[in-house]
Amino acid sequence: MKTSRVSHALLFVACAFLGFIVLTPFAMILVNSLKNSRESALFGLNLPKEFVWKNYAFVLSKPAVIRSFLNTILIGVFTVVCTNIFAAMAAYVIQRRPGKLTKTAYYVFLLGLIIPVSIIPTIRLMMNLGIHNTYQGIILYYIAVNLPFSIFLFTGFMSSVPREMDEAAMLEGCGRLRLFFSIILPLISTVFVTSTIVVSIAVWDDFIGPFYLISDYKKWTIVLNIYSFVSQYETNWGVVFAFLMLVMSPILILYFTLQRYIISGVTAGSVKG
Amino acid sequence: MTNIQRQNYPYWFLFPAFAVFGLLFLLPTGTGLYYSLTDWNINTTAIHFVGLKNFRDLFADKKLTAALAHTLVYAFSVTILRNAIGLGLALMLNTKMRLRGFFRTVFFLPYVISPIIIGYLFTAIYHPAHGLLNEGLKLVGLRFMAVDWLNDPKFALLSTILVDVWRTSGFTMVIYLAGLQLIPTELFESAALDGARYPQTFRYIMFPLIAPSLTVNLTLSLIGTMKVFVMILVLTNGGPGYTTEVINTYVMTAFSLGLYGQGTAANLLLTALIILIGAPVLVLLRKREVAL
Repeated sequence: MKTSRVSHALLFVACAFLGFIVLTPFAMILVNSLKNSRESALFGLNLPKEFVWKNYAFVLSKPAVIRSFLNTILIGVFTVVCTNIFAAMAAYVIQRRPGKLTKTAYYVFLLGLIIPVSIIPTIRLMMNLGIHNTYQGIILYYIAVNLPFSIFLFTGFMSSVPREMDEAAMLEGCGRLRLFFSIILPLISTVFVTSTIVVSIAVWDDFIGPFYLISDYKKWTIVLNIYSFVSQYETNWGVVFAFLMLVMSPILILYFTLQRYIISGVTAGSVKG
Repeated sequence: MTNIQRQNYPYWFLFPAFAVFGLLFLLPTGTGLYYSLTDWNINTTAIHFVGLKNFRDLFADKKLTAALAHTLVYAFSVTILRNAIGLGLALMLNTKMRLRGFFRTVFFLPYVISPIIIGYLFTAIYHPAHGLLNEGLKLVGLRFMAVDWLNDPKFALLSTILVDVWRTSGFTMVIYLAGLQLIPTELFESAALDGARYPQTFRYIMFPLIAPSLTVNLTLSLIGTMKVFVMILVLTNGGPGYTTEVINTYVMTAFSLGLYGQGTAANLLLTALIILIGAPVLVLLRKREVAL
């Protein structure tokens, strides 16, 4: 397609303008996170008159903040590991052993991508099981809600590992667990990366889970901590923005270093081809 | 082969996933069907079956019918806008532009940030006196448009919609872009040979061939936006009045008032709505897809 030089330039200007609209709010958080309470309440894009680094020190001096960071990491790690392993195992059988049972199982899992979580009955169930307001409770909840997407992802990729591989390994006398864990899994390591990124971001960003399932603030995740922090310090936007920066920065660093994986991961399976 | 299959691909591999998913997703969904027909609330010691009473109460509640309407308005507005913008962005980035990789990264960026952070960010941007939006409007001489975006009942819902469009257009863009890049270049070359101009190329080549991306974007978007919660909670908390109340904020209020049966029933309405709207849209769109 021929596109003239002028229209090329116009497109570039349009993109630059839209990019500006996306980036400006982030710039606003950054500069205002370094302003005192009076200046940050003006939400200006100018640089701070004096850099108030202690906004960050103040947020980090709160034991609850550090604790909620650690809680999120703890919950995230367990969720990611279990979701990946369970999803890989399920996807392996679903893809390798086509039949009525596996097909039904697959569609039942996919329901989880469509139907909203029934949160009030979930709370009651967890109370009955004695896992409401516990780490293991929220970890199990996260595994349950993240499994559908991971199973979807793994099932799609599993077909890229040729069946002949399994047969060759079997002829060599390889057991079925060894076949799965030391031959199949290493071959689909890219999906592990994708699934890990998607699930980590989902847990890191989630609000609904801890909001309904964790009442003890000591077990809160970072996002829930933001919610209570803001209601406490809403008069000082400087520290609120510093807190938002601190929560965003791991995701931003991850995003800018691994953006190829992240973009293809988050949109994975949405595109045929 | 079946023997080999049975040996090497044992069904129990499904068990861990199914146990967790069954226990914490399917079971509450199932018991929810029952609880929605009961008088379960914070004061009851025993739960009684009350038939469709909760649903009758819900539909008699103006706040709920408003929440239903807002959920639909929100879902359809966000879906249409984010798809229009996402497709536009994808078409722009599908040319041989400088820095296109950079722009792609930038446009997708808001999608990875927690909605709660985006919510607080826009609370500041929409601030009537000092927020960036109104400052910008005053700067370009549109002072009359500088309203109190989140507290004016006329604009509150629109304001929440625009934040979600800002947040997710990059996601739809990436899916359209992937669809566009699957189109073989020979098709464009032969179209150019036949003298087709850009609008015709778009109408007869690109649009039919990105139909699968359209299907994915529209269904994912409708399903996702009907579940909106955090964004509304942070930006307006359903207010002013109940002009931005959506089903999920209604469920939360019912829960905090201890009306568990009624809250579960409201949640069930959301499930029904998603299935009623999502399924036909999906079927309709799939029919129109062109195989490459």
